[in-house]
Amino acid sequence: MSDNVLLSVRHLSQHFKSLKAVDDVSFDVMKGEVFGLVGESGCGKTTTGRAIIKLYEATGGDVYFKGKRIVAGTLQYRQAIENAAADLKAGKITKAEYSEIKSKNVAEIRRARYDQHHCDDDYERAQVAAVKAKYDELIKNADGEKAAELQKEYKAELYKAKKSRLVTKIQMIFQDPIASLDPRMTVREIISEGLVIHGEKDKAVMDEKVYKMLETVGLVKEHAGRYPHEFSGGQRQRIGVARAVVMNPELIIADEPVSALDVSIQAQVINLLNDLRHELGLTVIFIAHDLSVVKYFSDRIGVMYYGNMVELATSDELFAHPLHPYTKSLLSAIPLPDPHYEKQRKRIVYNPLAEHDYSVEKPTMREIAPGHFVRCNTAEFEKYKAEMGI
Amino acid sequence: MSKKLEVKDLRISFRTLAGKVQAVRDVSFDLEKGETLAIVGESGSGKSVTSKAVIGILSGNALVEGGEILYDGKDLLRISEDEFYKIRGDKIAMIFQDPLSSLNPIMRIGKQLTEAMILKGKARQKSSRDAFNSYMKLLREYMVLAGEDPQQVKEKCDKFDKFEYCHIDLERAYNDAYEAATEASSDIENALFLIEKKAFKDPARTMKDLMRLCEKTISTYVVNGADADALNASVKLIRTNCNLMIKSGDYSVATAEFGKIKDILTAAIAKPMPNFFAMGYYNTFADKPLPELEVDELNKYLRRYLDDNFMLDFIASVNKALRYSAQRYNKEKQDVIDTFKQTASVFDSPEISNANVKQAADLCIKEVKESIDPLDINKDSMAYTFSTVIDNAVSIYLGAPDKNEREKKRFDRQTKKYESIVAKGKTPDWAVVPASYVDIDLARQNIKRLIERLYNHYAEVLENAPSRDFDQASVDIIDYLKENAANSVRYVSKQMAKHRALKLMEEVGIPEPRKRYMQYPFEFSGGMRQRIVIAIALSADPDILICDEPTTALDVTIQAQILELINKIKAQRNLSIIFITHDLGVVANMADKIAVMYAGKIVEYGTADDIFYRPAHPYTWALLSSMPDLDTNEKLEAIPGTPPNMIYPPKGDAFAERNKYAMQIDFEAQPPMFKISDTHSAATWLLHPDAPKVEMPKIVSERIKKMKKVGGAGNE
Repeated sequence: MSDNVLLSVRHLSQHFKSLKAVDDVSFDVMKGEVFGLVGESGCGKTTTGRAIIKLYEATGGDVYFKGKRIVAGTLQYRQAIENAAADLKAGKITKAEYSEIKSKNVAEIRRARYDQHHCDDDYERAQVAAVKAKYDELIKNADGEKAAELQKEYKAELYKAKKSRLVTKIQMIFQDPIASLDPRMTVREIISEGLVIHGEKDKAVMDEKVYKMLETVGLVKEHAGRYPHEFSGGQRQRIGVARAVVMNPELIIADEPVSALDVSIQAQVINLLNDLRHELGLTVIFIAHDLSVVKYFSDRIGVMYYGNMVELATSDELFAHPLHPYTKSLLSAIPLPDPHYEKQRKRIVYNPLAEHDYSVEKPTMREIAPGHFVRCNTAEFEKYKAEMGI
Repeated sequence: MSKKLEVKDLRISFRTLAGKVQAVRDVSFDLEKGETLAIVGESGSGKSVTSKAVIGILSGNALVEGGEILYDGKDLLRISEDEFYKIRGDKIAMIFQDPLSSLNPIMRIGKQLTEAMILKGKARQKSSRDAFNSYMKLLREYMVLAGEDPQQVKEKCDKFDKFEYCHIDLERAYNDAYEAATEASSDIENALFLIEKKAFKDPARTMKDLMRLCEKTISTYVVNGADADALNASVKLIRTNCNLMIKSGDYSVATAEFGKIKDILTAAIAKPMPNFFAMGYYNTFADKPLPELEVDELNKYLRRYLDDNFMLDFIASVNKALRYSAQRYNKEKQDVIDTFKQTASVFDSPEISNANVKQAADLCIKEVKESIDPLDINKDSMAYTFSTVIDNAVSIYLGAPDKNEREKKRFDRQTKKYESIVAKGKTPDWAVVPASYVDIDLARQNIKRLIERLYNHYAEVLENAPSRDFDQASVDIIDYLKENAANSVRYVSKQMAKHRALKLMEEVGIPEPRKRYMQYPFEFSGGMRQRIVIAIALSADPDILICDEPTTALDVTIQAQILELINKIKAQRNLSIIFITHDLGVVANMADKIAVMYAGKIVEYGTADDIFYRPAHPYTWALLSSMPDLDTNEKLEAIPGTPPNMIYPPKGDAFAERNKYAMQIDFEAQPPMFKISDTHSAATWLLHPDAPKVEMPKIVSERIKKMKKVGGAGNE
């Protein structure tokens, strides 16, 4: 894995009982880019975002953040054992082979469960060690009063370090700015809640951070004492952004941040996210169904359909050469502010049963052109290649 | 094309604790038949309030301060709730924004679809019966007044009444059988399909139900004669073999017999309907059996018989009564005009003299009440609503000085209190509610305008009076009576409603309507739910459909489907649509005309081409430039700030604060509507001849240039 990859999603599956909300989705997010996820409602794009930030227990697959496995599902190992059991019954493998496979996979499951629940331990240990190293030196060299002061500071820092978590480097902005803010908390409390949970006790530091954040998102200091209902939709979404950014994250998952806003306010929020991204060097996973906004904002786009990623390419490439029929249908549905164009626009209807024949060979993600992946089988692969003129 | 709906100078405010919010300020537009008008604006711009006023569901704290909404010659702001009941849903229907919250979560979809049909059906039945009876009574009275022999009048009207009853009975019987036939034919089709697929569940009961339904269809004018015998024979055959078939699982007998029945029923459904009106007369008074004729011939024969023996005479009497009443009430109308002329001076004088105004208004009301012709079928709503409207206006006018004084006292008291708190060095946590005074001048103007309107209306009526076609009017009256009599029979049963609901569900593109009919809203996806909402709106076959952000809660592909569906239905039913949205992209395909609203005003109004290719108002530019399209790379031009607080509407142009092209005058005076072309106008000072020339933002002009190249709009 190259250093440039910040987040790597490998074969992620999220099943709710028999419903496969996300099924075997893989993609990488580079440092500093905006990765767009599009698809109609119910296609699993929000579930993907939530599984990454560990709001759900992933069923299968892994997510690596900065090289560390933060999400680990066990589905693939369980399936391997089941397959081996079936093979054993059919007489394809011997008993010894079966028990070898089983013990190997059971170990994997154990490791995955450990990673799922202890992914932050290493990070926490490293933070604690860093604080210890820093203050040991300082306290040794200081004397009398200053040492006592340092000791106090050291304790606070150590407390914070013990509370630090790797996953807080991923933050989320939610869709509905009304429902996602607690109506009984002031803006100050909302923004500083994350800081408090992670060990910040100094009121002055917290206030300073909150004020700075409010300014960054285009609000003013006086707003800190108010309640969410006193704000308009656009301002509320800014508070949501501030709450995420104050944790100093490296990756932001923005789940339809502008869908609930008016057109003119949408532009304000998009511009704000764009500015923040450049100033703070943020990486963003941008989940939306409005394709023109996604096109404008994202560097690369993944198209999802019923729990699968069907196409992934840079945004210009995707819009210039859509290959998968679902992508084509999605692009043909975008309304534009141009009556003459609109009267001619023909919507392409996507019918998966008519478009694909997967009875012989199951589809997988294949790279058609550099950086342009499509979910297809061999026959379709050739067809798409011909379409691209390669 | 004819104008379906006209909105003129509509002003609506809301009373709130913080003060009066001016939601809609002087909005005017009109809607023609088969046309789509899109109202575009941010939330809070008053677009939803306008549409809610059209359909008469403004919330309780709303104040209609002026203007009128004309539909079918009626002013919707002033008609009574009883009258509105006949329009809302029936003539003007609405699709709401959120398909989740506009359906009842604990009622099955089928129930929700049929609920309105059944309730409206019952209400129509009752109101039709009442209308028929009261009109008959009036007609008798005026026939006598017109100089006919009372004995003869009584005889004639009783005759009409009597054979109308016979007609109703005949038609009811026919309707029942016909309905059973349509239902049985579709049920049989369903059953055959299930048998073929070997998924025939509970066959004993299903077949029993079907048999019963088939037998219901046997009636004189639906399934009769040889057909009835054949149908009976088939039913008998199935019945005898029923148990055998269920045991063996071989349904070949049923399939064959059902096929035969279905053919019979299809033929029966296709038969024309006999003229029951004439037949009612024949059966009641002719004393001889009906001749054996085909339906078409029979209808002709019956019609001739009816005309010769009764109808022509009856129409002549009606004609006489009509002439008499028209003459009488035209005289009254002339009196009203004279009264108005006399009293005009009272309302003109600037001083308020209580007694005079009250007296004059009462006199006007009395005269107008007397001038209403009770024999008019189309009620003159302007005259009908005159008394309540003028009463209201006069009481506002007379109460104004008192009210203003009270308001001033309150304001002074509050200001004093506020200042005393401030003087103590504290900051109060409340603000002084600004004083809202009643504009006495405006109130007087209002009264004058109301009187003038009725004056003009009556003058017009009197002018047209000599050219009135009384023969046509008499025939219209007979039709009106017939229709009411028929409506009082045409009740909507549960089965009929279900049948219609299933058809509607098919029309709006819901697969497997029979299965879906029994489901709850939560079992539907967002797009399907919105289709149900559309089906409910269409169930009463409206003229005007108001769509309040119907696709905002849906995603791109579903949005495209719903828009296509609305366009299709519009073309099929020749609907007029008011389409409300905040997304200009959505309306490009839908709209014929677009009104851009901001802070309660229409700031730009024109055809879709005008707005998209030649936008003139800075707000429209801002709207167009704030959304990215597929080729946008540069920074978006967001509109800074938020819309103004409409409790304190700005003195000048409401958009000036957020407008980078704003000039000094924008903060001082409100711009009027400047006409750019016949169809296109905009309210901005930039269009004033003295204003400096300003180009639209580059992002918009370039996009338009590109659109012209791609879309072919450059050919104009």
